[in-house]
Amino acid sequence: MNPYWGTSFFEFIVLFFNRMSQWVFGSLTLNELASDEVQVLALICIAFSGALVGCFLVLKRMTMLANSLSHTILLGIVGSYLLLFHSLNTFQLDIDLKILLIASLLTGLITTVLTQFLTQVFRLQEDASIGLVFTTLFALGIVLVTLFTRNMHIGTEVVMGNVDALHPNDLKMVFYIGLVNIGIIGLLFKEFKLISFDPALAKAIGFSPQFFSYLLMVLTAATAIAAFRAVGVLLFLAFITAPVLSARLLTDRLEKVIIYALLIGIGASFFGVALSRHILSSFQIPLSTAGLVVTLLGFLFVLSILIHLGKRRFFKTKLP
Amino acid sequence: MAVWHYFSDPVLRAPTIASMLMCLSASLIGVLVFIRKRSLLGEALSHSAYPGVVCSVILVSLLFPFSEQWLSIGILIGAFISSLLGLFMIDGLEKRLRIKNDAALCVVLSLMFGLGILIASRIQVTHALWYKQIQSFLFGQAATMTDIHILIYGLLTAATLLVMIFCFRFIELIHFDRELAQSLKAPIRSIEGIVFFLLVLAIVIGIRCVGVVLMSAMLITPAVAARPFVNKLSHFFILSALIGMISGFMGNYFSSELPSWFWHSTASISLPTGPMIVLSASTICLFSLLFSPQNGLFNHWILQGRFLFRCKKENFLKLLWKQGHEASWTLAFIREKTHMSWLLLVLLLMNLKIEGLIKKTGKHTYILNEQGWLAASRLVRVHRLWEAYLVHMGQRAEKVHKSAEEMEHIITPELEKELLILLNYPVLDPHQQPIPKPKENL
Repeated sequence: MNPYWGTSFFEFIVLFFNRMSQWVFGSLTLNELASDEVQVLALICIAFSGALVGCFLVLKRMTMLANSLSHTILLGIVGSYLLLFHSLNTFQLDIDLKILLIASLLTGLITTVLTQFLTQVFRLQEDASIGLVFTTLFALGIVLVTLFTRNMHIGTEVVMGNVDALHPNDLKMVFYIGLVNIGIIGLLFKEFKLISFDPALAKAIGFSPQFFSYLLMVLTAATAIAAFRAVGVLLFLAFITAPVLSARLLTDRLEKVIIYALLIGIGASFFGVALSRHILSSFQIPLSTAGLVVTLLGFLFVLSILIHLGKRRFFKTKLP
Repeated sequence: MAVWHYFSDPVLRAPTIASMLMCLSASLIGVLVFIRKRSLLGEALSHSAYPGVVCSVILVSLLFPFSEQWLSIGILIGAFISSLLGLFMIDGLEKRLRIKNDAALCVVLSLMFGLGILIASRIQVTHALWYKQIQSFLFGQAATMTDIHILIYGLLTAATLLVMIFCFRFIELIHFDRELAQSLKAPIRSIEGIVFFLLVLAIVIGIRCVGVVLMSAMLITPAVAARPFVNKLSHFFILSALIGMISGFMGNYFSSELPSWFWHSTASISLPTGPMIVLSASTICLFSLLFSPQNGLFNHWILQGRFLFRCKKENFLKLLWKQGHEASWTLAFIREKTHMSWLLLVLLLMNLKIEGLIKKTGKHTYILNEQGWLAASRLVRVHRLWEAYLVHMGQRAEKVHKSAEEMEHIITPELEKELLILLNYPVLDPHQQPIPKPKENL
């Protein structure tokens, strides 16, 4: 049984840390974790990866491309099913590492290449070509999935996510992706920073901005694919943008922005789950945990806007 | 089911006509959004409409249970308000806080959508029927529409159309010549307000059949599809509206017909209408981009192919010229010299014959006639003139041949004349070969 049944907000927090220390010291196994703990850990991993990737996406003004990616992952997963010679009739949204790898490469590259192709060959505006590509690919994905599985709900599940259906094994996936993100971005932090702030200099020194934007796109796609089971693609976008923008309003330095964004994302995930349990315990209302987390993120965003405006008024600083 | 059934059958009629009306208004506004380069604004606004839909489904179902008219009107109003709220939020984030356009769109759309999901989850267990109604707005559900919807959406679309026609002159003026509009004291602010109002209205109308998630496609795709074929704003509007309506119809048609092509069972499902409408529009758009007269790939390939063919033909003529005047030659000889494929050779011969440059003298033997000789000697002249010109400009003589090989296909008769005058009618080229004289100098 779920040990969190009937706990209030503070009881949840105490119990959570208690059980986490048990888990860390080995008296609880991974499969014994309660669903609330799985949710908290998964959301924290997603918030972590999201903030890391999101910083550079916001800096490079590629968030709408990330929006486009987060929709096209459905077709990417369908494509990797076909590449692995699975039959589409048995299509499910359960994802193993092999599918994750192929699908994120497929999605990241195809979306970016197609969008660039439209802008360069047909001289289309960039945002029009982004909009054209992702809506088409997403619609194609949904139609294919519905046609072959006769399941009308897959599209909805992709968009909305289902944090309650998370399994401890899904936790491994988001954890690995978090590791990959921190590994790649940690190793190439200087390069990413240089390319975001001064692409011309980066090019002159010999780093290809093209390569790094593709790398960023593939990372984003991988994060989106790992995350969408839990939060759905649209709320994944909230994890990418909202913490980063809130952090950006509070500070100017990139390192600080990343740290603040991580804190905001992780805090919102943790307290969101705790709050959702609290509301369930004391009011008997089951609320969508992912929705609650995103609303918390929005709340924090509004808070940081207020802090920013207050600071501006207090110090009488002008806008940059 | 035949095509006309979709307009006469009492069950199919309402979804088809209502979808076409929705796509009409969306594709009209899409043109405006496209020329303002704000195509993705629709994406953010349609997602911001979601919490409004959720709230109004709950409110109306509490106030007027089982009333279809009130429900659809209430949803329209709710979606309109929350979408407008999203617009103000985006505007505020961009102008007050200097947040970049794309990040502002992205954060507003995801936060508003999250809010919608949160509110919707409140009734997921307690009121499953309402929840199902809300979910149908994600990907659109045209099939459950009735004649009331035709009336409501028809009126709104007609209003949009009227406003557009009424404001057309101003819209044209403001979007193409802002300074002139300012100097003429045109009501710029109010027209822009009207445009945004219409944008939100079109989105709100459209989410019933295309769905929140894919609504932006109906704004973008018809406009992109129409753009290559028009260069007047009024034509742009008309063509885009036409494409929108066709894709609205095709989406409905294929969403009920396509599954039955795959499975021949009676209990087949119907595909979600929204994605099908979007796919139809994208297919039209793909064809329009491929066959567009300016940047179309197809057109590009044709031009390229033609040019390559002309180069081959001219090289062929030059080769014949080098055999000398009045010399006849066999196909075998040409094959040996050029290693052309038979197909290309036959095509070239046919083309030359049609243009009257060669004549047949025997079996498989041909000869250049007078006109062919002139054309070929012009090519040689241009080639050697260009070589002479390059040397005149200071290039070394052994390096000029390659450039001349390319330029001989490009130089026009006017340019040739200029070169002749500039070089004062040279007799020999840098390689001491005679330059054939033009006809009038002979």
